[in-house]
Amino acid sequence: MAVQVNRSVIGKEYPAYVVTVERGKIKEFARAIGDLNQHYLDDAVGRASPWGDVIAPPTFPITFRDERADAETLLHDLGVDISRVLHGEQEFEVHRPIRPGETFTCRTRIVDIHEKAGRSGPMAFVRRETSIVDRAGDLVGTMRHTTVVRL
Amino acid sequence: MRYAKVHFEDVQVGDEMPALVKGPIRQIQLTRYAGASGDFNPIHQDPEFAQAAGMGGVFAHGMLSMGFVAQSVTDWLGVGTVRKLGVRFTALVRLKDVVTCRGRVVGTSEKNGERLVELEVWAENQRGEKVVTGRATAAIPSRLD
Repeated sequence: MAVQVNRSVIGKEYPAYVVTVERGKIKEFARAIGDLNQHYLDDAVGRASPWGDVIAPPTFPITFRDERADAETLLHDLGVDISRVLHGEQEFEVHRPIRPGETFTCRTRIVDIHEKAGRSGPMAFVRRETSIVDRAGDLVGTMRHTTVVRL
Repeated sequence: MRYAKVHFEDVQVGDEMPALVKGPIRQIQLTRYAGASGDFNPIHQDPEFAQAAGMGGVFAHGMLSMGFVAQSVTDWLGVGTVRKLGVRFTALVRLKDVVTCRGRVVGTSEKNGERLVELEVWAENQRGEKVVTGRATAAIPSRLD
């Protein structure tokens, strides 16, 4: 039986959530990728750098999660099972480097859902956007996620 | 210590980014990436779940491959230079796959006082099949700075 995606969630905004960047989490993330750049891992190198501390790798904001706005919540809203979804596309816009100890407010909304015929059958493309704003109210970055649902 | 790995004046359209070879992918790396990223989708951990989902077995998080692509750019142009990175995941990365990240300069420009390099980036497996395709924009220093 074909899966239906609940399209009424287009435009839905999830509750804003606050994240604080942990020093150890930056290092764990860089090591998991196998990126051993000392600007991510060595506090002394970070202190001597133009940023005054270690910084996070470009894709680190993917760790900014909240259970009220995460993939499981999205799947529940769409009415689909986790076994039917794939990560289709991802984009990061980065306005400045992210350092340990910083606190950000993240806001996610569903931008669009459209259906297409894929190689292995019909698929729905669900586009979400998450803005990352610092304590001063400045936009630090934007994440754009496209989730593919195999219908 | 110098932070500028490459200066704007040294970069020309058509230049190729040095290739970055990652892998072979092992289950332990997917488990580590799950813990580090918070993405615990069992499709990347549990062979039975991945089979039952019709995926023919476990595969890597797309975000892990994107992390490789980001590393290929920062290894060449320096950390803190990436302004934008956007990719499409075009094929699954499986256990034992070797992922090679490549790129090519497709444009240079100046905007808001920053000197920008636009790259076409991609990652391919050991059979030469593209697993990730995308674009990156990096801001790099000038020799005049």
